[in-house]
This record gives sequence, structure tokens and C-alpha cells, in this order.
Amino acid sequence: MDTFLQSVVSGVLTGSLYAMIGVGLTVVFGVMRIINLAHGELVMLGMYGAFWGLALWKLDPFASIVIWVPLMFLGGMLVYRFLLRAIIPGGELNTLLYTAGLSLLIANLALFVWTGDYRTIKLKYALAPMRPFGIAVPIPLALAFGLAIVITAALYLFLARTDLGRAIRATSQNPEAAALMGVNVDRISMVTFGLGSALAGAAGVLLAPSLYLYPTVGEILIAKCFVIVVLGGLGSVVGAIAGGVLLGLVESLGAVYVSVAYKDTIGFVIFLLVLLFRPSGLFGVGKS
Amino acid sequence: MTRAAALAAILLLLALPFLTANQFYLHLGITVLMWTVLGVAWNLLGGFAGQVSFGHATFFGVGAYTMMILYLKAGVAPWYGIVLGGIVGALVSLPIGLICFRLRGPYFSLSTLAVAEIVRLVALNWEQLTSGPVGLLITTLPAVSFAGRAVNWESKIPFYYVVAVLVVVAMLATYGLSRSRLGAYLLAIREDEDTAESVGIDTVRAKVVTLALSAFFTGMAGGFYGLYFRYVDPDAVFPIALSVEMVFIAVVGGLATVVGPVIGAVFLVTIGELFRERFLVGHLIFYGLFMMLAIRYLPEGIWGGVRRFVSAHAPARNL
Repeated sequence: MDTFLQSVVSGVLTGSLYAMIGVGLTVVFGVMRIINLAHGELVMLGMYGAFWGLALWKLDPFASIVIWVPLMFLGGMLVYRFLLRAIIPGGELNTLLYTAGLSLLIANLALFVWTGDYRTIKLKYALAPMRPFGIAVPIPLALAFGLAIVITAALYLFLARTDLGRAIRATSQNPEAAALMGVNVDRISMVTFGLGSALAGAAGVLLAPSLYLYPTVGEILIAKCFVIVVLGGLGSVVGAIAGGVLLGLVESLGAVYVSVAYKDTIGFVIFLLVLLFRPSGLFGVGKS
Repeated sequence: MTRAAALAAILLLLALPFLTANQFYLHLGITVLMWTVLGVAWNLLGGFAGQVSFGHATFFGVGAYTMMILYLKAGVAPWYGIVLGGIVGALVSLPIGLICFRLRGPYFSLSTLAVAEIVRLVALNWEQLTSGPVGLLITTLPAVSFAGRAVNWESKIPFYYVVAVLVVVAMLATYGLSRSRLGAYLLAIREDEDTAESVGIDTVRAKVVTLALSAFFTGMAGGFYGLYFRYVDPDAVFPIALSVEMVFIAVVGGLATVVGPVIGAVFLVTIGELFRERFLVGHLIFYGLFMMLAIRYLPEGIWGGVRRFVSAHAPARNL
């Protein structure tokens, strides 16, 4: 019973961060029909941001989020404006290949500049885990979990309550109709891509103290990310949140009850099954 | 005219090892040719049928492991192993095709990525068969003689000719496919799958057969990789990056052409290997950069661009 509780807790903690990465990818897909293969590299950049913030300026990784999130937002908007905008009319496969190129470019530039060394972030307050009710909870993961909930909730309120958020949802539902109602689809796309990048960067910053950092970490993350958004239904924010938590649970429970070696395989098998039999996601809200 | 050009190209290919004794250039030539096979193989499905697979590393790895395991555990000579690697790759592709071809466009691409990751994880963990992360190592290659002379496995030249043969066969297969009924089906599928189906083309069958052909050549290239490097492990032959590099070579060179992937391989692999020789890491920077430039400015690839330029500037003539 203790093992079960322990794996549920760590599954939910990791899952909350997966959810954040997934939400970024799914919002971008919803509005622009881009499957952004460079999303994992954006997470990687966030991780390195946290690392260098601590190494160079003694900045606490969790505090550094206030620098990296706006920067990633701005960077994302620039990438959309100067790189992606011209590609989108070419269709989904072209943007897929283009973002694959972008992903390889970013990852290899990072390899070139930062080398392939594995790095870790060591925090003084994170040496021993908390033990509420006898369940071990690593402090960096708990902090990341808390911040992830705050950020995701803020995003949800933004999408649900503000005019800009409504315009994003409207574009996601039907770009032509949104344009006819006076929504500037191009500007919305730019903001959305900025938003997706900022979420990826934020997730990277939050994940950095709990994972090894290396330039090609994005490759693994993007694969997990597809599992998440397809589980939840491509284009659905709530679906991505649920998908993220679900994948976190599947991985941690799978590691305990099925096999440590095959825990990542379970996620991919579920991914294939969902793609084949429920292409609109487990909750039937996505767009296929 | 084209026949003479092809003959000249083949003669140049055969003569190349005599033009240099520099081991690095020979290694570069072998690497370029191996990636040419992969680009050409990927192009059969990705170029002609428009089905973008991000999972071809599966067939490469299966081919490499088939050749290694058959040689190490059953004593099957590597050159048979290469062909058998292709055959096993093609067999493995059948169930994968039947599953993944139920999906279209980007969804197909993502599903192949997932399959490739599953296969990689299985190879990593099925230790009785693959020795897991430790990998498999060939210490000595069997003695063999060709045209009355013993083959010197310490030299790079025999490997060069083995892979050169693979390139020529794969290109001939592409040429054959492009002029066949199946080739016409594939173009129809690429342009509009629903219409292709409505005129009576069995689209799933056409795609599965093409995937098997593509997997056959990819598997043979994998078998060659095992023979040349004499060592395979799951991270070397099954990574996502390997699948992606094949895509880039075909797209940057020119999709759905016989020559395009060759140009792509010569161009990208040469830049990549020179970069690696000089800086050790980050050799795929230019792959990413040229992919982005190609999609933006030259969607038909380098070879397609050259052909368009030539036909626009050449004086009119009767062909």
C-alpha cells in the first residue's frame, strides 16, 4: 500500500510538469495546426536557463522563472514572425519537417556551445526529501509541482476569461469564422506561439533541478509530449493536463508493477492504441 | 544522354578509391555512400508516396542486428547477413505498415516515431538476443577471396565496394519504381489519397509494399553498418536522430527523384563529417539549417532546383 501511494504521488508530481509541456504543444496545434517538433528543445533551453542562472548569477532556479518565461515568450513570437509564418501555408507536413529542422538546429547548437556533458543542479535545500505521512517527496519536485499548478491555472483563467484568451479559443475552433468576427488571426498565432514557447521554457526551468541536463534531452521529452497530447486529444488544453498526469501515473506505476526497463514502452503502446482506436483522444475532445 | 551520364557516374564511383590513399577521405566516401543508400531507401516511401516516416531507424537497427547475430551465433557470413538483414527488415516492416498506415499525414509520422522508440527499448532490454546496452562486437571477419585474391579486411577499400554496389542497386530500384505501375499509384496517393482510392487503387497495399522495399534497402544499409564498424549497440543503430537524418538527406537533396538523395547525402554528410572532424560535437547544425532553408526556399530540394534552373535556361531542343 505504501509503495502504491508513493508511486501515485511521484506520478502526479512528474505528471504535472508533463502536463505543462503538453499544454504548450496543444495550444499551438489548436490555433496553427503546427505539430511543433522543436517543442522539446524549447524545454531544454529553459533547463539550461535555470542551470546558467544558478551557475553564473547565483540565481535560484525557481526564482529565475520570472526572467526566462518573458524571454521565451518573446523568442517564441520572433520565431513565429520571422521563421514559421512563411511556412504555414505549405501545409502540415511542411511545418512538421521545418520544425524538425529547427529542433535539430537548436539541439546541435546547444551541443556545440555547451558540449554533450551531463549536468545537474544541486540545491542546498533539496538534499533530503520531505516525508509527509511517510511518503518521500523530493523538495524540488514539490516546488515545481506547486508552481506548475499556479502557472497552468493562470493560463486556464487567461484562456477562459480574457478577450485575448477568447480570441485564441475562437481561432482554435474555427480560424475563418474568427477572422470574420474581427479576430486578427496572424497576431493571435504569434501570441499563441509565444505562449507555447513560454510554457515549454517554464516547464524546463521547473524540471531542471530534478533531471539531468544535456542538449539532446528534448528528443525524449518531445516523444513523451506526443503521447500526452494524443491521449488528451490534440488541441485540447484540459485533455493535455489530464494526459500529462495520466502519463506520469502510468510511468511510475508501470515501473513498480510491470517493469522498470519497459516503463517508457507502456506510454508508447498506449499512444499507438489511442491513435488507432480513439484518434480524438481518450476524452473525445481533440481534433483528428 | 542520361544513360551515358549514369555510366560515367558509375565509372567515377568505381575509380574513386584509386584516386586517394587518404584514409579519412575513404572513410568519408564510405559514410556518404551508406547515407546515400538510406536517403534513397527513405525516398521510395517518403518521396514517391509522400508518407513521412520518422521511424526508419527501426529497419536500420534490425538489419544491423540481424547481420551481427547471424554471424556471431550461427556463423552466417556477413555478406549473406547483409542481404538477410534487408529481408528481416522488410518482414518487420509488414506489421508496422499495416498498423501505421491506418493513419495519415503527420499522424502517420508520429506513429512511426512511437514504433521506433518501442523497438529501441525492446532492443535495449532483450539482453539474451542483443546483449542490451553492452552491444555486439565482431573481433575477426572471415577470410574470403575475390577474383583469386584474398580480401584484406584491414583496408577500407573492400567496404567501399560493398556499399557502392548497394547504392547502385538501390538507385536502379528507384528508377524501376518511378517507371512502374506501382510508382504511378504512389504519386496518385501522394497527391490525393481519397481520389486514388476512389479510382480503385488499393492504397494500403501499395504503401505496405513500398514500405517493405524501403525497409529492405534500409536493413541492408544497417547490415553494412555492422560489417564496417564491427560493433552495434541500441543507441548507435536505433536512435530517433538516425531516422531524422535520413529524412533530411532525402528532402534537402530532392524528393521523388532518383538522383536527389545522392546529392543530399554528398552535400550534408560531407559537411557533417568535416564539421565532426574539426569540432567533435554539433555536426548536425547544418542538417537543421539546410532543412529549414530547403523547406522555405527550395521545396523541391537541391536536385529539383538544379533541374528547374537548367530547363529554364537551356536553349530549347527536341528531346
